[in-house]
Amino acid sequence: MAGLFERYTPGPGFDEAFEPDGTVRPAYRRVVERFRGLDQHEIHRLEGLVAEEFRRQGITFTVYGGDEGTERTWPMDLFPRLVEAVEWDELATGLAQRIKALNCFLADLYTGEGAALADGIVPRWLVTSSRGFERNAFGIRVAHGAHCSIAGIDLVRDDSGRYRVLEDNLRNPSGISYVVENRAATAKAFPRLFDDHTVQPVEQYGRMLRSTLESMAPASAAASPHVVVLTPGVFNSAYFEHVFLARSMGVELVEGRDLVVDDHVVYARTIEGLVRVDVIYRRIDDDFLDPVAFRPESTLGVPGLLAALRAGTVTVCNAVGNGVADDKAFYPYVTDLIRYYLDAEPIIDNVTTYMMWDPPQRAGALARLDELVAKPVSESGGHGVLIGPHASRAELAETRAAIEAEPRNWVAQEVVELSSLPALADDRLEPRRLDLRPFVLTGETTQVFPGGLTRVAMRRGSLIVNSSAGGGSKDTWILASDMQ
Amino acid sequence: MILARHAEAMFWAGRYLERAETTVRCLEFEAASNMHLRPAQADLEWRRLVRALGLEGELRAAGGLSDRHEVVRFLLLDASNPGSATSAAQAVRENLRTVRDRVPIELWEEANALHLRLQALSSGSEALREPHDVFLMVRRACLALSGVLNEAMRRDEGHAMIVIGRTLERAIFTTNLLESSLADPTGALGATRLLRLTSSLQAYRRRHGHSLDPDVAVLFLLVAPDLPRSVLSCLVRSEECLKDLASTALALDLARRKAGLLRARLELGEIESALGFDAVETVSSLGAELASLAEEVLMGVIPPSATPSVRSHFLRPGEIPPNAIQ
Repeated sequence: MAGLFERYTPGPGFDEAFEPDGTVRPAYRRVVERFRGLDQHEIHRLEGLVAEEFRRQGITFTVYGGDEGTERTWPMDLFPRLVEAVEWDELATGLAQRIKALNCFLADLYTGEGAALADGIVPRWLVTSSRGFERNAFGIRVAHGAHCSIAGIDLVRDDSGRYRVLEDNLRNPSGISYVVENRAATAKAFPRLFDDHTVQPVEQYGRMLRSTLESMAPASAAASPHVVVLTPGVFNSAYFEHVFLARSMGVELVEGRDLVVDDHVVYARTIEGLVRVDVIYRRIDDDFLDPVAFRPESTLGVPGLLAALRAGTVTVCNAVGNGVADDKAFYPYVTDLIRYYLDAEPIIDNVTTYMMWDPPQRAGALARLDELVAKPVSESGGHGVLIGPHASRAELAETRAAIEAEPRNWVAQEVVELSSLPALADDRLEPRRLDLRPFVLTGETTQVFPGGLTRVAMRRGSLIVNSSAGGGSKDTWILASDMQ
Repeated sequence: MILARHAEAMFWAGRYLERAETTVRCLEFEAASNMHLRPAQADLEWRRLVRALGLEGELRAAGGLSDRHEVVRFLLLDASNPGSATSAAQAVRENLRTVRDRVPIELWEEANALHLRLQALSSGSEALREPHDVFLMVRRACLALSGVLNEAMRRDEGHAMIVIGRTLERAIFTTNLLESSLADPTGALGATRLLRLTSSLQAYRRRHGHSLDPDVAVLFLLVAPDLPRSVLSCLVRSEECLKDLASTALALDLARRKAGLLRARLELGEIESALGFDAVETVSSLGAELASLAEEVLMGVIPPSATPSVRSHFLRPGEIPPNAIQ
């Protein structure tokens, strides 16, 4: 049978499933075999099953300003991503290390003595000029120093297959619901695929998250703390995920208007009257959290919440002010912070990054801008990013001028050819680029969740995997080691 | 414990679910029975149904009705008519969507699927050549939703709110229907119609035999204790749920008492004897009391307002409030 792999050429960058000469890598042998057993008709049928399942369950995200109805399903490609046990163990250690250092920094900055600033590890001016830096966070104590209880770290693999950190998400990383739902959908549509593998389960996320959040409760909380998830509401693009979080933890999904602060204590409005709340897993940004302290016109938050936080009667996860440490301008310093706080070498490296506010680095980068990626530091979702090798002369000149005008707002990075995996394109499989977002939970302890969100670019050659830019996702299998 | 907002959403989900089911049941009956009538008579029957559904204003706004297909479309698929089955299904879905985290997954999935199917039909053009398939589909979906509600959902506060919404909506519709029928009596034919629109004809025959007495039919729909659609049965169920809720949600006690009083008046024959004097007025004021009971429920759901002290909102960065936990 000619099949789905006809004319498949291993893909630009590191192909995770195939060697450059076209032989299948050992980990993927059985998966590739299963896909070889399918024809076009069969795989389209399976794809249809998955799409129908997502639509029926309403697993959607909202597209702002979209014409075709506002709710869309996020396409999942059936060919799974595999991470071998040994590989994962090292990654997990590296991720935990990184989050520990970042939490040390946030605690040091907001409730400690600012040692890293005093010792010049990170320039003070860079921190205080960051958009994510929040004066209101000073004096709010955070249990276990876990400012970032739920982190999502974006990883990519370079030409040689080595993992590198592309971005830290320390505020409201989303995507975990897709990790769980993708697994459920794959298991329903293509159960045979799992036959020859031992894959670590993912459905325990709710339990892990709840115990993490409970461990963050203030001293005033009862033995079983009252945890809630705070959502901006049904119109938010990630509403499905908020529902998923509340349901999988078995807690209430509240909106700002359901909460009220009285005498520095947060209560939920229930039909029985006001009921005290101990831990809020908020899925709204700092700016919208409390109209008294932040944007006065916002109705999403809870007036007085920040005062309650300062009184220590309630915990908000993630803590206020984390944005300072997932700023793209802050990113180049994280490896130094690992050395500084943990006295250890970083296990996972950054992508080589040049700081445009450093004159020699800027001069070096501007001289070869057409070979680099330039990123504005406070944008997200791929906005304003210049990919040098693909850019026109005019675009290069424009970005160069922008960098020279405001060097504080830019970094430049070496181009990383993202790794790729086969994905269905029309009637056959073609290599498509991907990244990986694992999730790290920190309460009393730091745990790396055995799974992650693989985002995949759905267009040939594209380097952009964001869901808002037409990307899709893949079920991600962390294989259990033989010992487990 | 349930959030006040969630309780409200579930109440409305219950009301709209009942609404969707009722609308389609009535449409199905009218579409079948009006086929044999002369156009003028059929037109009259359709108007009556529209009145019982409380949609006269909407129909006027939509420009009246010219033929059977248009009425069916108006009541079944017209998304701009807030009383159509499609709008009701959408309202069920939107309300359940805000409480997705606390209802059985199947409940949300069924509501979502029904909404998606009706939405596809209402944007398509040729759906109504065979409306019976659509009626059947909606009716089955409503039955599936009821099945999940009854068999898979925990009997918590949310469940109670859905049941209250459903039973009150049902009682209100039954009284509306009775009122429009009493105001314009058409004898045995009218009684059959009344019983079929509430799918109670079979039950009536088992209870009272084949001779149809309009007065007996009216009473049957009001106070039959064993008929799930009678106003009395609806009130009994609402009251039970309110009793459960009011044991902790004290603000709902007023609604519980109101439901109990109304139930007692039906049960002890007060309404029955009033029917003899002025049936239309009696049923009409019963309808008004049911509507005010529904409002009372919503009032009870909204909690006593908390008045936070202004002082508690303003703290300078670094300032520790006096009642802080050290």
